[in-house]
Formats: sequence, C-alpha cells, structure tokens
Amino acid sequence: MTSAARTVNAWGALLTRDLRAFFRSRSQLTSSLLLPLMLLAILGIGVTEGLEPTRVRDGDYVSFLVSGMIVMTALFSSTFSSASFYQDRDSGMLKVLLVSPHSPAVILLGKSLGAIVIGSAQALIVLAVAAAIPAIELEWQYGVVVSLALAVTTVIGLNVLLSGLAQVLASRIRTMQGFHLVMNLVLFPMLFFSGAFFPLANLPGWLYGLALANPLTYAVDLLQLALYADGSDGYLGVGVDLAVLGTLALALFVWGMRRHPLVD
Amino acid sequence: MTSTNGNKAQTPALAVRDLSVAYGERLALDGVTLSIAHNTVAGLLGPNGSGKSTLLSVVAGLRTPRSGEVRIFGEAPEPARRRRVGVVFQEQALDPVMTLWETLVLHGRLFGLGGNTLRRRAEALLERFGLASRQRDAVRTLSGGLRRRLELARALLPSPELLLLDEPTAGLDPDARRSFWQLLRSVREEGLTLLLATNDVLEAERECGTVAFLHDGRLVAQGTPAELKRGLKHDSVRIECVDSDGDGGRANALAQSIASWPGVGGVTSAGPVLHVTVDDVSTFVPRLFQTDADAIRDLRIQPSTLEDAYFQIAGASLQAERAQEATTA
Repeated sequence: MTSAARTVNAWGALLTRDLRAFFRSRSQLTSSLLLPLMLLAILGIGVTEGLEPTRVRDGDYVSFLVSGMIVMTALFSSTFSSASFYQDRDSGMLKVLLVSPHSPAVILLGKSLGAIVIGSAQALIVLAVAAAIPAIELEWQYGVVVSLALAVTTVIGLNVLLSGLAQVLASRIRTMQGFHLVMNLVLFPMLFFSGAFFPLANLPGWLYGLALANPLTYAVDLLQLALYADGSDGYLGVGVDLAVLGTLALALFVWGMRRHPLVD
Repeated sequence: MTSTNGNKAQTPALAVRDLSVAYGERLALDGVTLSIAHNTVAGLLGPNGSGKSTLLSVVAGLRTPRSGEVRIFGEAPEPARRRRVGVVFQEQALDPVMTLWETLVLHGRLFGLGGNTLRRRAEALLERFGLASRQRDAVRTLSGGLRRRLELARALLPSPELLLLDEPTAGLDPDARRSFWQLLRSVREEGLTLLLATNDVLEAERECGTVAFLHDGRLVAQGTPAELKRGLKHDSVRIECVDSDGDGGRANALAQSIASWPGVGGVTSAGPVLHVTVDDVSTFVPRLFQTDADAIRDLRIQPSTLEDAYFQIAGASLQAERAQEATTA
C-alpha cells in the first residue's frame, strides 16, 4: 500500500467510525433533521404572520424584544449549567458526590441550585442592562417594585422549570452531545414559538393553540405584562401566567429530582 | 478504632451476605458472602470483570443489589451512615479546574464538616501527604501520583472507619506506587479497616491480611495469603506454548499430558500459557522438554505465589461448575 493509499485508508476508517456513531445516536439523527424543519415552519409562519411593526407598541420592536431576550438568556444559561451533570459524570465527580452521606435527590437538588442561580442572575443582568439603555422604553405598568418582583419571580420560575426538564433528560440520555441536541430540539422551537420574537395574537389558530401548550409562552407573557405592556389586552393575564408557570415548574422540578442519575 | 470497644470489635467492619448484582441479564455478582474484621486490610483479588468494582460500588451505596444484604459496622448502608466509609475509585475522580484546597473543602462540607475543624483537618492532610505547597493549584496541574494522593486525602478527610480502594495504584509508576502505599500504611496504623480491590497479586500478598478470590462474580476462596497457598507445590512454572493456530491447542495437549505426572500439583491454562505447580523443578523441566520441546516458546520458574493459588482455586471452581452443568444437562 502506498503512502497516499494508507492516508486514504485512515481517512476512510475515521469517516466510518464517525458515521457509525452518528447513525447509532438516534437523538443526533432525529434532531439534526427535525430542528431545521421545525424552525422553518415555526419561524417562517411567525415572521410572516406576526411580525407586523404596527402590531407592537408604537412600532418599538427593540423594547418588545426585551422579554424574549431575558427568557432566551435564562434558557441557554440554565441549559449550559445543567450540562455540568455530564462533566461531573465524565470526571468521576458524580460518583464522589453520590457516595457522600446524602440521598441522590439531595445531590441533584444541590446541583440544580447552581443552574437556577446562574441562569436567573444572567437573565436579570440582561433586564438591568435593558432598563439602563435610554432607547428601550419599559412601561413597568404595575409600578417598578411590583413589576420587578413579577419579573424576578418569572425568571426564577422559568429556571426551576428548565432545570427540572434538563434533569429529566439527563437521566435518560447518556452523552453530553445527545443532551445538547435534544435540548436544542426541544428548546429552539419552544423559544421561537413563545412570543419572544413576535406577538402570538395574530398567528393562525392552530399555531396559537400550540403556543398555549408551550410553558415558555407564559413566562414571556408575564414578562411582557410586567415590563413592556401598557395594558392587558391581547395578553393571557398575570394570574393565568403565574398559575401555569408555577405548576409546570414545580411538577417538572419534582419529576427531575426523583430521577436517579446515570452514573456510568 | 476498635480495640477499646469489645462489641464494636466483634461486629465485622463489613458483612456481605448472599449478594447478587445483575447488569441486565448478566450476573456481575452471584451470591457473594464475605466478612471483614475491624482494623484489618482485606483484599479482593480477581481479573478484570470478576466483580470487584461492582462489589465495592454496592458497599459504597452507588448500586442497588438484586438480592442479598450489606452491613457496614452492623448497619445498612443508608446515605446518612456513609460518613463512616471513604472511597478511592478506580478511575480518577477529581474536578480538574478546582484547586486542591477547594476539592477538600467541598468534600468536607458534603460530609458535614465546617469551620475550623474542616480547615485544620484539610491543612493537616495536605501537609501529611506532601501537597501543602500545591494547595492553591488547580488539580489539572498535578501528576498522576499526586492526584492519587489527593484522592486518598479527600477520602480520609471525614475520618472514615472503612476505606474502600478500587485498584488505587493502577497506572502509577513504581515511585508513586511506593509513596502511595507508605501513606496508606501510616493511616492504617490509626486503626482504619481497608478493603482493597486489585488484580495485582504481589500487592495483595504483601499488603493484605486476608484475601478473597472473585471469579466470574463468585467468591471462590477467602483466607490469609498463607492459608490460600497451603497445599500448593513448592515451585511454580509458567510455560508459554507455541500457538500458531491461535486456539491454544498445543498448550491444552501439553496440559493434559503434564497433569498425570508425579509431583505435579495444579495445572491451569489461559490461552497458550500454562501455570503448573510442582514439587521439584529439577525433574519436571527435563521431562517437559523430553515430552514436547518444540511446543515451548518460553519458560519461567519461581516460588509459588498467591497468583498460583488463585489460578488453582479459580480453575478448580470452573471445572466443578462445568461438571455440575454437565450433570444437570
């Protein structure tokens, strides 16, 4: 075999290995195909139907986006922090934590606290920066204190929900790559379809119905009411948002904490 | 730890009864019963996949057995009682971005230590283990030997009474290995009970007061190294046979021939390699070469060791199992 043939042979072997790994990873396979198709459908319809500048307050799209950016920051920060579960498992630290004199639920809760605190802090920093920019006009329609309390509650509730969801997935998915892919598959459509980037009110009925099944919709709605809106017309309402977000966050978090972690 | 308390000394540090663990359909541990006395060093000896790490993981509380029970100092290994147990895992288990100090503080706090007690204990262990000057360094900057020392210091931080060690010196160079064992011996003198899983026969023979042989998830023998070697012939001969067909055929043929010779004890084979214990190598070796010199690629002679005992006992166990299966069939 010539030197060039040996090189091609080595490339062939490496390619075969990576392709085999790709096709064996069902999460990678499905998410890599489904994600672009879902985004095409959701974002395409959303932008076409919903993003009419006159449909946001005074045509001020930048201020409209603040709530969506807060939710997006919480989403990615919380997901990234939750991935530390895999780092701990791969470094062996998870085993060290689990042989301590605490139940697995206590350890998982402790680890989730980190994700919740980091995700909430980063999201609230985005809010603070947005509030300090003169070009962004926040309404604070319930007064600054109450509106801020609502925003903080929303952000913490959202991070609790995301942390629970991440734990449920991490207890079923063995690799960090698979975890990220599935999270992307779940989270990107949820984000685009939550009212974060365009109002939901003008979407076709079936899409609006799907948006109501999306937990992030209630977080965005609550933040819009607290920070951006100058009334409640076209919104779901503070009571509904708090009830749905709170219930889902608690349920997912408790479910996630009851899952036994995959040690190896 | 135990000598001043009669009841405590009578209760085994670890008692495992009829323990079975399955991974899917495969039994990783099959009815293992084992008892380890206070203030002793016990070894679990067996090849890779024999169930050593699985047994330690059950004792540590990481894995739930299919059946059987574990008692640590007479108590079920519930989470709250794990503060009496320290673990050093087979693979290194450290966060590479944490400093040595942070590593110990995290562990101490998980085990309920805090304040001055934690600080004093961590400082003392870092000093004793020669790590004090590196305490502000990230773990990733440590050599393999120093990482092992840190893991041992971490396991000892909450003052455990039973220390589980899963092949703790695997992959260490001889200096690091010697240094690690010097530290272990020094902490042993403080009354710690050690359970060491290893496939290093010399290490087990040198360091352990009692040794348990695990084979295919079953405990095939338990005793002191001297008891386990009792009955072995004086010398051990390791014969590597020619194996051009890759099926160990010549080794098997030679083993069958050798087994009936006078003065020959146990004959076990692993692929092309035979382990034979004999009374007198001066008569055995010439006869071996007269029988089939062409079959022999390499031959080594040494006094019988715990390894020979392991091969003999594990081999006998396997033969008994096959005979039973044949009878049942």
